[in-house]
Amino acid sequence: MIPIDNFLVLSAILFSLGMYGVLARRNAVLILMSVELMLQAVVINFVAFAVYLDPEAFTGIIFAVFVIVIAAAEAGLALAIILRLFRNRQISNVDEANLMKW
Amino acid sequence: MGMEQAWLIPAIPAAAFAILLIFGPYLPRRGDWLAIAAIGASFVLVFPVLADLLDRADGTTYVAGEKAWEWISFDLGSVGETFEIEIGFYVDPITIVMLAVVTLVALMVQVYSIAYMKGDSRYGWYFTVMSLFAASMLTLVLANNLLLLYAGWEAVGFCSFLLIGFWWEKRSAAEAAKKAFITTRVGDVGLLIGIIMLWHEGPNTFNIQEIIHFAEGGGYGDTYLTAAVLFLFMGALGKSGQFPLHVWLPDAMEGPTPVSALIHAATMVVAGVYLVARMLPLFEVADPIALNVVLIVGLITVMLSATMGLAATDIKRVIAYSTLNSLGLMFVALGSSAVAAAMLYLFVHGFFKALLFLGAGSVIHATEEQDMNRLGGLAAKMPITAATFAIGTLAMIGLVPLSGFWAKDEVLVFAEEEQHVIVYLVLLSSLAITGLYMARLFVRTFLFAPREQATYDHAHEGGALITVPLLILGLLAAVGGFVVFDEVGEALGFPGGFAQFVFLHEAHQFDFQLDTAITSTVLAGGGAVVGWVLWQGKAELAARIRDAFSPISTLLANRYYVDEVYQFAIDRVVLVLGGIIAWFDRVVINDRGVNGSAYIAYFTGLEARLLQTGRIPNYALAIVVGILILAIVMLVTQV
Amino acid sequence: MDLVLLALIVIPLAVCPLFMLIPSQYPQLSRYLAALAGTALLVLSALVFIVYEFDGGSGLRFELQWDWLENIGFLGENGITFYLGVDGVGAPLVLLNGIVIFAAVFVSWNITHRTKDFFILLFLLVSGVYGVFISQDLFFFFFWYEVAVLPMYLLIAVWGASSEFPTFSRPKEYGAMKLTMMLVGGSVLIFIAIFALFVEAGAGTFDMTVLREQSLDEDFQKWVYPLFMVGFGVLAGMWPLHTWSPDGHVAAPTGVSMLHAGVLMKLGAFGILRVGMTLLPEGAEFWAPVLMALGVTGAVYGSVSALAQTDLKYMVGYSSVSHMGFVLMGLASMTQIGVNGAVLQMFAHGAMTALMFTNVGALYDQAHIRDMTQFGGIAKRMPRHSAFFAIAGLSSLGLPGLAGFVAEFHIFVGVFRAGYWWAGGLGILSAAITATYVLRMLARAYFGPLNDKWDGLKEMRLGEQFAGAVLIAMILFMGLWPAPFIDRISETVEMIPGITG
Repeated sequence: MIPIDNFLVLSAILFSLGMYGVLARRNAVLILMSVELMLQAVVINFVAFAVYLDPEAFTGIIFAVFVIVIAAAEAGLALAIILRLFRNRQISNVDEANLMKW
Repeated sequence: MGMEQAWLIPAIPAAAFAILLIFGPYLPRRGDWLAIAAIGASFVLVFPVLADLLDRADGTTYVAGEKAWEWISFDLGSVGETFEIEIGFYVDPITIVMLAVVTLVALMVQVYSIAYMKGDSRYGWYFTVMSLFAASMLTLVLANNLLLLYAGWEAVGFCSFLLIGFWWEKRSAAEAAKKAFITTRVGDVGLLIGIIMLWHEGPNTFNIQEIIHFAEGGGYGDTYLTAAVLFLFMGALGKSGQFPLHVWLPDAMEGPTPVSALIHAATMVVAGVYLVARMLPLFEVADPIALNVVLIVGLITVMLSATMGLAATDIKRVIAYSTLNSLGLMFVALGSSAVAAAMLYLFVHGFFKALLFLGAGSVIHATEEQDMNRLGGLAAKMPITAATFAIGTLAMIGLVPLSGFWAKDEVLVFAEEEQHVIVYLVLLSSLAITGLYMARLFVRTFLFAPREQATYDHAHEGGALITVPLLILGLLAAVGGFVVFDEVGEALGFPGGFAQFVFLHEAHQFDFQLDTAITSTVLAGGGAVVGWVLWQGKAELAARIRDAFSPISTLLANRYYVDEVYQFAIDRVVLVLGGIIAWFDRVVINDRGVNGSAYIAYFTGLEARLLQTGRIPNYALAIVVGILILAIVMLVTQV
Repeated sequence: MDLVLLALIVIPLAVCPLFMLIPSQYPQLSRYLAALAGTALLVLSALVFIVYEFDGGSGLRFELQWDWLENIGFLGENGITFYLGVDGVGAPLVLLNGIVIFAAVFVSWNITHRTKDFFILLFLLVSGVYGVFISQDLFFFFFWYEVAVLPMYLLIAVWGASSEFPTFSRPKEYGAMKLTMMLVGGSVLIFIAIFALFVEAGAGTFDMTVLREQSLDEDFQKWVYPLFMVGFGVLAGMWPLHTWSPDGHVAAPTGVSMLHAGVLMKLGAFGILRVGMTLLPEGAEFWAPVLMALGVTGAVYGSVSALAQTDLKYMVGYSSVSHMGFVLMGLASMTQIGVNGAVLQMFAHGAMTALMFTNVGALYDQAHIRDMTQFGGIAKRMPRHSAFFAIAGLSSLGLPGLAGFVAEFHIFVGVFRAGYWWAGGLGILSAAITATYVLRMLARAYFGPLNDKWDGLKEMRLGEQFAGAVLIAMILFMGLWPAPFIDRISETVEMIPGITG
């Protein structure tokens, strides 16, 4: 059996990549994709722990499904916002979306 | 009908007031008859009360009558006492004297007013307020406790405000009314403090007799009592127009003349005298300073008013100064503990002063002129007014055998016997000056050639409503003084005579001393003769003297600049202080304190909002950094 | 009869949805409904006052206690109850509130802008005021207190009037905001103090009748009482936290000014008495000299400030500060006579200041200015109005026979009895200054020759005259026959711990 450490390292790498993307990117779509990466890292963790800690229970796996569903919904919502933003102001750069700023 | 029903005396005019206030406009003749009937009933009721008092007297010891209702009463739980305020009435000889003067003069004045106020647009209102005025004054006189006395006192002041300002469309009348009320109110501050002081250390009651009893038993500390009575005296100062609160009284002549007769001669201003007379046992128990203050204030007022009377040209103002003069004399008497003399003077003063004012009113009514520089020679046109006015003038000057003489002489005898010789001399010199200015008043108004023909032609004697009160008052002013003789007093039914009747403590008789009488008569009569000579005809002699002493005459004409000093004090001190505080309130407390703290909150927000950059990566970075810090903290603390 | 207190709270709350049902194009209907509700409240309030009779204990009558929250967390038995009851101090104030809302409805007859919204907020406020006077549960006391304060913001900001003065301006929003912020600031202190009290007492209940039985640590009382004193003091117009009052009055519409100066400011003084002094007697005693000093300062400062005002509303506003100073003096005397006087003064001031605002409002509606120096001789055109104003003024300067004298006299006697000579003397002096500014105002604006500019002035509206007549009747009633008031007040005050004879 593959040791759990491998999964955790993979998850950590994915999460860090995602986080870097969120912090460093300015394009809203790319930020959204980075957020997805972070979510998938979490899902890997859930599944890995679920299998290793208690193979009988499905708690972790169910959670993973939840996360995927919510990630899909969130992506849809976020893309909709980004589209509206682009329609109205012809931007997809989050720095320029500063209407609510003081 | 006895002393226990004496409360009816103020209650009847009070009821008349209530009826007139509500239904007055709907009554025939605007209800003047109701007001007069009410005060007439009060006047009549004085006699059964007097008879009852005399009936119950044991020789010359009078038993006072009292009747009281509870007004406020509650238990002071923790100390087991009861706080009580009564509406109570107390009848003793002093009260009776006051009642007689007030009701009689008020009756005369109201009858006279029917003619005088005829056609005035607020005729009904005049009689309404007159009723309230009479009711308040009678309440003040009859009150058995200091609080009811204070209530009547304030109500009298309020009525005088309404009556002085009766023609409030005139700016000067509105100002005079305001001045009268505020000036007397200044005195009332002291009065109220005095009343509360007497209650505070006293027998837990406002009842005057109990307080006096308590004080005579040595219940109050000496200094405390002195302070309390001096505060009380402050109230008397304001109400009786004594120096330095005399400024309102001459101005108060802005009211209709009958009002002046009632308020500023016969009743309201003597309230202060009455208060001091009533509370005199306290003054006597207190430190001698208290009585000396009364005496000195009286003396100062006597001299000030007599000299100011020399310079005034408005006939009503001259009479107003003579009132101040008389009141000063009464306070001198009280300062010498001579209650009977003061009350006698008050009694006869009520008649002759009302007579003078009503006579002046008759002149004003006939000529519509009250500056004596434009009058003159009216005796030919108005014989009854002139004759009665002459009686009043001579009574005021104090010539034998008119009423003023006997009363004034009593005061002089006391001053000579009991006080420093300076007091006596000052009084004598004031008598001479009184003779001077009263003679001037009469001569300039009624004798010699008229100064303005048109005014003279216009003049005529008033109707019976005007002349009859003048004649009645003239008679009383002429013979009222004879009550000093014990025989007269006894004949009238007062056992032991008038002095016995009003004297509070021990038996006392009027004292008549020939040398004093002669001195005073010579001085007063001499003053009058000199006045006649000076102001006869075109008064060239007086004008020459006036010009020769122009600084003094200017000082007198400007009333010693006391009004100016007050005006300055009000404009430059009180109002400026008010302005400073208002400014402080707006600028310091509001703009700095309130708006300042609001600005601090605003400024903090202004700076703090810069943290909100609005850039998503900044927020994301902050989240990450925060999580990292938390993780490190957890690691460090767990290891 | 048991539900009468509940009705006092419920009626004003219940008419609010009724107002919402009225279409806004029929403002007259809203007015009739308001008049109806106001009359009902007046009748019920008068009933409470008349029927109230002291029957031992803490003097509570018409009690009604419903459980609300208990035995949860820190709350013990009867933790928070909806507890109504009126005592001898509350009864006159309930009556006062009934009279003032009744009068205010008639004075507000000419509100044309969003009529029904105005009345909704007005009655919401009134229910809060009633709630404070009759709540015996500290939690609900505070709740109603907030209900009474908050509608004021909208009432002033929407229906108020902005003023321009030569050197400064006072927009209505400013007055509304300042008033709300200061009062809410005071509420914060009260809120803290209430919870401190709750925890310290350890009884697990907010029931005031239980809390007053607890003997609290003296040091604790000394720390917490000032929170109540200052927190409620803000609403009572305590110097130097009074500045919301003149500015708020100037900005507020007439009916709101009446309620505000007439009853709302009394809530503060009532709170100090009911919560502060009753629950923390030792703290009250410790801080009494401070309260006395602040009260005297307010009394003198207010009257001197009023002397300097030429704007009629500012003058009345500062006179309120001055008279509330008397109330605080009476409370601070901690003597039965003085505290009785303070409660009497709450009533007397409520009636006369409502009358004054009625008058100022009536004049302002016609003349559109309030600067007394611009008037002159208007008594000729508005005789009744002038007489009403004069009566209110005379009551405030303490003319015997009117309500103000009875109250002020008790306060002064109480203050002297407590040994504060200086305070009593200054208080009486302040009453004399009151005479000065009242008479100065009358002489300037109402007497003297008629200024031709004001030839067209008419007598005030019948509704205003009616409202004024009701208030004058109360002023005379209390001035001539104060016994019914004093009987009710005195026995309750006697039961308050820390009050000496």
